[in-house]
Amino acid sequence: METSSKEEYKIQSFDLETQQLLKTALKDPGSVDLEKVSSLIVDQSLKDQIFSREAGRICYTIVQAEAKQTNGNVFRRNLLNRLQQEFKAREETRKRSTQEWVCLVSFICNIFDYLKVNNMPMMALVHPVYDCLFRLAQSDALKNEEEVDCLVLQLHRIGDQLEKMNMQLMDELFNLLRDGFLLQEDLSSMGRLLLLEILEFRAGGWTLSETAQKYYYSEVTD
Amino acid sequence: MSAHQKYKYENDYKPDENRNKGASRWSHCRKRGADGSLRKSHSVEEPGKCSQSSRRPESFTTPESEGPVSRVKNWGDEVEAEEMRSNVRRDMHRYRRRILEADFPQRERKISSGSSDSRDSRDSKESPAKGDIETDETTLIRRQKQINYGKNTLAYDRYIKEVPKHVRQPGVHPKTPNKFKKYSRRSWDQQIKLWRVKLHAWDPPAEEGSDLQQIEEIDLGEIMDFELDVECSSNTESHCPTSSGGSLSLAEDSFTGTPKKMMKIEDAEMS
Repeated sequence: METSSKEEYKIQSFDLETQQLLKTALKDPGSVDLEKVSSLIVDQSLKDQIFSREAGRICYTIVQAEAKQTNGNVFRRNLLNRLQQEFKAREETRKRSTQEWVCLVSFICNIFDYLKVNNMPMMALVHPVYDCLFRLAQSDALKNEEEVDCLVLQLHRIGDQLEKMNMQLMDELFNLLRDGFLLQEDLSSMGRLLLLEILEFRAGGWTLSETAQKYYYSEVTD
Repeated sequence: MSAHQKYKYENDYKPDENRNKGASRWSHCRKRGADGSLRKSHSVEEPGKCSQSSRRPESFTTPESEGPVSRVKNWGDEVEAEEMRSNVRRDMHRYRRRILEADFPQRERKISSGSSDSRDSRDSKESPAKGDIETDETTLIRRQKQINYGKNTLAYDRYIKEVPKHVRQPGVHPKTPNKFKKYSRRSWDQQIKLWRVKLHAWDPPAEEGSDLQQIEEIDLGEIMDFELDVECSSNTESHCPTSSGGSLSLAEDSFTGTPKKMMKIEDAEMS
């Protein structure tokens, strides 16, 4: 039981005291300081790459638990507002540390993926997520493999949902990606490959055809 | 960056808006503060907390202020508003289905009882015709908020625990107004008021010193009495709810204590 919840929510990177706090928050949210919990989660997701991509899950569970137990919204509200602060400061964050920046993007997208409102994605996050992806599609970002990697990861995970929410923005985004792929000279070869794959991925309806799958993901033996 | 920058993220959101944390006269009855956190049932509001009227967030626009300020809300608020909208839509679907079911009760029973297409009284009064429900989203959301204020009280919690639905008697027990029925604004607001007043009967007993309370009660009792149609004992301990003319046949022992409204005045004065 112990290890499985650690595994499930990827909270191994927290210190033990915080892990305990999180577990209590999952079972008995009314008994903990949810503002503090949300703060801890956001802080950690900006530091820890793995957690930033998976934190949505634990957040979703806490939100549900709180709604069920006390009919409250404290955790979600604090989480979103803190996230908004980080989002506003994203350009500084990017200048300061690429790693933190990609963590931030992963986290926002993961929250978008998991925290649904009556089974619908949160509309309030659609433009912010697009903002982040557009930033990653700028030429100064495309030349960093780390940022391209982050970009394609998000599109793999939530591209189809984002497109449903706003087709026009997705079209614009992919125009940038296509232009970058074709025209930008300072892309790394991995970066180029990643872009090509995502272009095909979307063209195939957010899935990879079998041939494409073989092309990108299997070993070539000679 | 291209055309998607038509939306702006302006500066003035305040995640710690003071008005969310300030105490108000009615704070005591609320199960939950405006910032969402649960209140412990008898916590005393700190004197240092500002009242709702001071220190408004910058996005608050009044005629006296400098003019329109950016109204971009914080994400927390936006998502809550989204949630309320989608809840209201979901409620509407459910309600429509319920009306349809009411319109078509089990056929077999009707035929065997020999009655022709009879509609019992509940249809004409209770279930509006399919076209006649309130569908304006702004109105529904406003009404839902008012209902939520009422449900977010200790009194409501105690009421639903004490009186399960099948035991409730119309007139005696408060019933949540139906937000889908067509009513004028005044009519609806009045129904909400009456409902909330009725709910006060289930307010939790108070703990604060009773001397001050009694003084306040007498004053207000005099003001309120002449409006009432209800028989009230002159005992200051029992209270009578305000009613604008409708006579309420309430059993006296359905009131367990002083209305919280009256007690709040002294709270505000103390803090």
